[in-house]
Amino acid sequence: MSELIENLEFFLADRGIYMLTLILSAIGIYGMITCSNYMKKLMCMNIMQVSIIFFFLTFGQKEDGTLPIALEGLTSVDAYINPLPHALMLTAIVVSLGTTGVGLALLMKIKDIYGTIEEEKITGKGGRRK
Amino acid sequence: MEEKKNRKKTAITLAIIIILMGIAASKVGSYLPTIGDINTPANANVSSYYIEHAIEDTHSYNLVTAVLADYRGFDTLFETCVLFLSGIAALSILSTKKKVPQVSEDEIILHHKKSLFGSAITDVAFRVVVPIVLIYGVYVLFHGEVSLGGGFQAGALLACSYLLDRIILTFDRRVRKGKEELAILIAAIGTLFYLITGLLPMFNGGNFLEFSKSPLGASSAESLAELHATGITMVEIGVTVCVMGVIITILEVVLERTNFNE
Repeated sequence: MSELIENLEFFLADRGIYMLTLILSAIGIYGMITCSNYMKKLMCMNIMQVSIIFFFLTFGQKEDGTLPIALEGLTSVDAYINPLPHALMLTAIVVSLGTTGVGLALLMKIKDIYGTIEEEKITGKGGRRK
Repeated sequence: MEEKKNRKKTAITLAIIIILMGIAASKVGSYLPTIGDINTPANANVSSYYIEHAIEDTHSYNLVTAVLADYRGFDTLFETCVLFLSGIAALSILSTKKKVPQVSEDEIILHHKKSLFGSAITDVAFRVVVPIVLIYGVYVLFHGEVSLGGGFQAGALLACSYLLDRIILTFDRRVRKGKEELAILIAAIGTLFYLITGLLPMFNGGNFLEFSKSPLGASSAESLAELHATGITMVEIGVTVCVMGVIITILEVVLERTNFNE
């Protein structure tokens, strides 16, 4: 039993963060499919984007690595964490801002035309008692 | 009722599928690299080149900015364009007539008499917080090249300081601004500034975004670092102005229609 716990500890220390990002993205996908409120769908899409950003950032990590800002006398590659995922995810965050903005604008338009953002009331399917 | 039952069934099935997916991924997970491993493929090939050569190639001490504004400057240019397009999209979707009631000028003046900016919270915010946030934003912008900072973050800070009262106050107490057309124009100017920064070296026989051949100074060995610093800072300024304009546009357009009284 104690061996199992030790194995689990090693697993969590080595790859536990992948499980967390997976749980986060699963919450996002689950919410996007099951929620009938469009605002909640948009929020779940944001949660999924955040989980993907976390997943990429974990690849940039190095043991004993410092910030990716060059210091005098520190030229070794292993001393700095990987700057490439950080640069790529910075742009991904900005794109997610753009998609969220356009999504909010579309929600406003839907609210103007239909008077509601509940999927069931707009399409007239499901949830209604006959 | 039947529809509701069906819906519940779908939700439970989905939950089971996602749990099974998680178990499968935990099996695959042993092929993923361990956290902090130095010899993973992600840390091996191109990123070690960036770390080793960034200072002599780009003269930028912030390696993230070196990758973002110099090595992958073309990529960032179109990233900025995507953001600008999303601002235009949000503006054009909501450009029709508004349904929310407009506040008359008298009411605004009435609120102004009570306090200068609408309420006690915004009074403190505009006198104390906003100047500090503005200074910090400009600081972050100009430190993007040498230390922590960058264009995107600075743009978000500057936009938030402008939009503070819109976020805090309810609709009837807001001072009507309605400057979204001006904001999108500012974002367009930022994108254009980035493009012109890229085009400048071409007049001097260089390639697009090749800062070392910029005509802004003599291209001797000593001034090479200065030319790179100028180029990267100009890129950052363009990105900052674009991000600021787009955030202001989106929030102005969306918050203009919010009505919490419903």
